[in-house]
Amino acid sequence: MKLLYAGLAIALLISVLAPYLASSDPDGLESAAESVIDEERFAELEEADPAIDSPMPDYSIEGKGKLGEIVAISAGTIGILVISFGLAKVLKSNRSN
Amino acid sequence: MHIPDSFMPLSQALIYWAIALPFIFMSFRWARKDMDDMKIPILAALSAGIFAIQALNIPIGMGTSGHMVGAALVAIIFGSPFAGVLVLTLVLLVQGIVFADGGITVMGANILNMGVISGFVGYYSFVALRSKNIDIKISAFFGAWLGLFISSIATAIEMSIAGTFPLVPGLVAMGTFHFVIGIIGEGLITAIAIAAIAKARPDLVDSKITEDSKEALL
Repeated sequence: MKLLYAGLAIALLISVLAPYLASSDPDGLESAAESVIDEERFAELEEADPAIDSPMPDYSIEGKGKLGEIVAISAGTIGILVISFGLAKVLKSNRSN
Repeated sequence: MHIPDSFMPLSQALIYWAIALPFIFMSFRWARKDMDDMKIPILAALSAGIFAIQALNIPIGMGTSGHMVGAALVAIIFGSPFAGVLVLTLVLLVQGIVFADGGITVMGANILNMGVISGFVGYYSFVALRSKNIDIKISAFFGAWLGLFISSIATAIEMSIAGTFPLVPGLVAMGTFHFVIGIIGEGLITAIAIAAIAKARPDLVDSKITEDSKEALL
């Protein structure tokens, strides 16, 4: 369990720093899209809505700035921890049944 | 490298889901077989760490940024590419649903690229290098780099089949950007993490892994 706490501590530290350190440049796929698709079609693709609405799009909370980003990413980090822990427990306990 | 919904027609997105699902299923089977009370917290901590570090885009020049994927790292630590598939599936699921990073319809393709392809290529390249007695850090670096690079090539091909990217310019652009992202974002971080973990907990990442997977390959 020591590893869990150490891992969580590192993950949360990254979550808090990410909004300040992360580059706002587009990622590899987006940059590629920008350079190989013509402008009009690119704008069309970029503006298209995702298939579902997300509660915290782009790892942010509307109107809450950097603090909102820290909260969003930290919540995701803890959420993933709980989900993976829970799923691994469930899968493992199934074995002994 | 997260593909948004608009970049792929639904019919094709469903095909990638159909390809990804057996891998997801097998990753569940791997967890059932391999998880114990010692490994569960490690898997959970790693998943959380992968999610957090994916939020940290590193500038790579050319007006582009990239982040670590992490499937190879997880696969190397657990000695199975299915560990990478499992963690990336969970991470992509939460990213897609909660944070609108990567589409829901195209999630199968994203799991295939970032979980399956980068995990399998990364892991088996690492194992191949380790079996030739190459240093663990160099093996981890090269495996992780290749895993990311090949998955970007796969993404470019999928984008071309989808009619979103022209094939050759798409391959050149995706390949160029991810060649660099793979060095900084994937290779270096994976090598540093593996070296740190091998030092703190040699039982987690050491020759055992390469021995096990050699057996699994035979």
